[in-house]
Amino acid sequence: MAIPFPFSAIVGQDEMKLAIQIVAVDPKVGGVLALGDRGTGKSTAVRALADLLPPIHVVKGCAYGCDPQSQLANCPDCSRLKAGSKIATESKPVPVIDLPLGATEDRVVGALDLEQALSQGIKAFSPGLLAQANRGFLYIDEVNLLEDHLVDLLIDVAASGENVVEREGLSIRHPARFVLVGSGNPEEGELRPQLLDRFGLSVEVRTPQDLDQRVLVIKRRDAFERDPQAFRDSCAADNEALRKHIVKARKGLEKVHTGDDLLRTCAQLCQKLGTDGLRAELTLMRASRAYAALQGKKSVTTEHLRHIAPLALRHRLRRNPLDDTGSGTRVQRALEEVLGA
Amino acid sequence: MNLAWDDALWAAAALSIDPCGLRGVWLRAPHGPVRDEWLAQLTRLHPALRRVPGHADSERLLGGLDLGATLHAGRAIYQPGVLTQPDPTLLLLPMAERLPDDTAAILGQVLDQGQVPAGRQQTAQDTFIGLVALDESLEDEPPMAGGLQERLGIWLDLRHMGRAGGEDDNTRWMLDTLPSMDLSALRAHALHLDMEDAVVQAVCQTAHTLGVDSLRACLATVKLAKLLAALRGSDQVQEEDLGRAARLVLTPRATRAPVPPDQQAAPPEAEAQNDSPPDQPPPSDPPEQPPADPPPEPPGFDPQDMAELMLEAALATLPADVLALLADHKTAAPAGRGQGRSGNRKPSFLRGTPLPPRPGNPRQGARLHVLATLNAAVPRQKLRRLPSHSRAKLAIRTEDFHVHRYAEHSPTCLIFAIDASGSAALHRLAEAKGAVELLLTQSYARRDQVCVIGFRGTQAEVLLPPTKSLVRAKRSLSGLPGGGGTPLACAIEQCLQVALAEKRLGHSPSLVMLSDGRPNVSLQGQGGRAQALEDALTLARVWRGHQLPAIWLDTSARPEPQAQQLAQAMGAHYVPLPMANSNRMAQAVQAVQSGNTPPATATARAAWQPNAPSAQTPVWRNPGA
Repeated sequence: MAIPFPFSAIVGQDEMKLAIQIVAVDPKVGGVLALGDRGTGKSTAVRALADLLPPIHVVKGCAYGCDPQSQLANCPDCSRLKAGSKIATESKPVPVIDLPLGATEDRVVGALDLEQALSQGIKAFSPGLLAQANRGFLYIDEVNLLEDHLVDLLIDVAASGENVVEREGLSIRHPARFVLVGSGNPEEGELRPQLLDRFGLSVEVRTPQDLDQRVLVIKRRDAFERDPQAFRDSCAADNEALRKHIVKARKGLEKVHTGDDLLRTCAQLCQKLGTDGLRAELTLMRASRAYAALQGKKSVTTEHLRHIAPLALRHRLRRNPLDDTGSGTRVQRALEEVLGA
Repeated sequence: MNLAWDDALWAAAALSIDPCGLRGVWLRAPHGPVRDEWLAQLTRLHPALRRVPGHADSERLLGGLDLGATLHAGRAIYQPGVLTQPDPTLLLLPMAERLPDDTAAILGQVLDQGQVPAGRQQTAQDTFIGLVALDESLEDEPPMAGGLQERLGIWLDLRHMGRAGGEDDNTRWMLDTLPSMDLSALRAHALHLDMEDAVVQAVCQTAHTLGVDSLRACLATVKLAKLLAALRGSDQVQEEDLGRAARLVLTPRATRAPVPPDQQAAPPEAEAQNDSPPDQPPPSDPPEQPPADPPPEPPGFDPQDMAELMLEAALATLPADVLALLADHKTAAPAGRGQGRSGNRKPSFLRGTPLPPRPGNPRQGARLHVLATLNAAVPRQKLRRLPSHSRAKLAIRTEDFHVHRYAEHSPTCLIFAIDASGSAALHRLAEAKGAVELLLTQSYARRDQVCVIGFRGTQAEVLLPPTKSLVRAKRSLSGLPGGGGTPLACAIEQCLQVALAEKRLGHSPSLVMLSDGRPNVSLQGQGGRAQALEDALTLARVWRGHQLPAIWLDTSARPEPQAQQLAQAMGAHYVPLPMANSNRMAQAVQAVQSGNTPPATATARAAWQPNAPSAQTPVWRNPGA
């Protein structure tokens, strides 16, 4: 197996790393959208995730990687397995699944198992990428170039957390709760607002312009390619520390207090910016809470909010496609007005 | 002496040692002796070169069920994909510019991860491939998919090379000795070469100076330099290697010309001085060394000096005109941010709205419709005898196969031709810009592509090639100056070129011409109204011959008979817009696009009552209603 580049060895990209940590702490925040030029290390950061996060416990033999603790037997495999004797469990790394641009619809949702259908005449379901990504991350590179029909699929599944297959004579529903991670270059095409809305946080990734940082990137990558295992071992302590940090934040998340006046500020901010629906407020609140938990704090403060608001809101502004003003600036301005008052 | 050809050969040698480290080469060259010679050299150095046809589907690339064998044997038989190569292998990808998006995406993913992703039946497998992508696209055609361009380390452009050959002695020595050497040992040697910090710094500095932001490019440069050093049999990366690596990786990606040294600000020098001990001697400029014994290196490099030397080397093969273009910021990357498209994809076997299945062979991207196939097979079971050794329960023959069919809607592309000549600019340019902006907002809602062509003076210019990025469209529009003659014939010709190119890509182009229809510059760029009108009319008829939809928005103060005549010749809907505002223009275009004819009454009225514009103010009236 190819060894992924260690997460803790990624240079710079603080915003991207923060966003990923936040969704790792609280997957309910939604996905992460990383916008920026090619070759800025977006993919590297995402692919390092599997190695960073603690492994998950799954029902052994379940193609959907269900949680053994979960009482809901809403997946076809588990309802079969749980009906029988005691279920076996195993632990496996958090799935980080790549959804390539040209993927066919049935590769994504799953389809009739061709092998069984042809050789034995059995109608069986062969799970697709959405099933593999359950409880993990679904990564789409160049998400803005994704075909419309795949976007439609994702929009539905990402909201409901369930994949319903009604095709080729199959009728299957299975859980598909995943964190959507997209990356792309906005110069090459726009994203549908509906899909934008499914991403909880958005970050802008730029190549580090600082020479020393770039040199450091090259050197680390060079060291990694010489001996991946040794390099990984050298970063193991940092990765482990980061992992513990995230696990701790997950545990602490429940206890983080969110005051009413803070929620009020959230609402004011979203009102000011004219975001559609209530998802903006919810995401902002959840992300700020996860950020507070990451900082080891017991309650969310306006400082947390100030830090998170651009990430959570800048892609939700109802935007005039011809307006050049960066949406980040608009969020900043609204922040000044709401918090300054 | 042919430096570019030398570079190309060294690139081939480096690729043959470490295909997966460099990820491959994007080779832009027409089919011809130069490319053939280069490929012949590559094949000699790397006999395992494998050809992958562009129409290979994902099943063949990534591996999957072997349908024929499975049916025959009555049990699942899998075949490994072409991309799964346990040993370092170069894959030759012809016609890379026509590569379908999905194939390009798969290739990019495999190159990035160094493994073939887990399929339904198999686990992820490590693979060690590099691609030799042959791109034959012409200047005005979209090159290979941008995502794939980015990932391939070396960019080689042999389009302007007259002839192959003329390599120097070092190169010939390398080519002669390489086949007898142990490639894997050489690869390991290159991998473990030590690089001083100064070298990495010089690479980053050069990349920055040339406006190459991607870190993948820097990585590839470093890697290539190490391979080149190893090829020379040296233990040290020298300026020679760095220069060559920069020429092969960084220079083709350059997005800006370096500032001439005399204009360069002093501070970087000072910083560099602080970084390195002052007592270091500057590296003596080593002349071409016999490859076998490298000279002892100076104890250290000065990053600044090195970056300068490297930059100089990097620019050695760059034609002066390219440099000038870069300096003017005329072109973003010379390669463009191409999408890469396969041909007309309207009838699709792969995606779109499903249609009923039909009998057919599940090949060339068509997918088997299992249910329909089984349905077709079931009634014939009694007639067919299964061989006794078969474990299959169903006898399926190839004639039972049904395939999926889909109808794919083709994206539309709206071409705006904007008359920015003196006569038009006087009254209407601002208004026309306003109308186009409104239309852009509408196309945004429909996810259309837009293209903006402006014409004035003696020529028409594509201000914005077809794109979905409306911010860019707006930017190009606001930068459009007014004044000069009306080269209408050139404009129609240019529009036609763009429209036909779009049509080849499977899009449906339509034209919105905003002009007052008073051409006064002929196709040759000469003045004279009569000739200009004749040329314009000729080209208008050519346009009509292609049966492409168009709408003519007459921007003159009162309806112009000449514009009407031109519109008729083009087969365009003529909409005179005396005192019109942006809103009305937008409505008219929308009506044409949605297939309705523009409001005949409004058109007629406008034509007949040129002097009573205030009588009709259908600003809020929907023309289709």
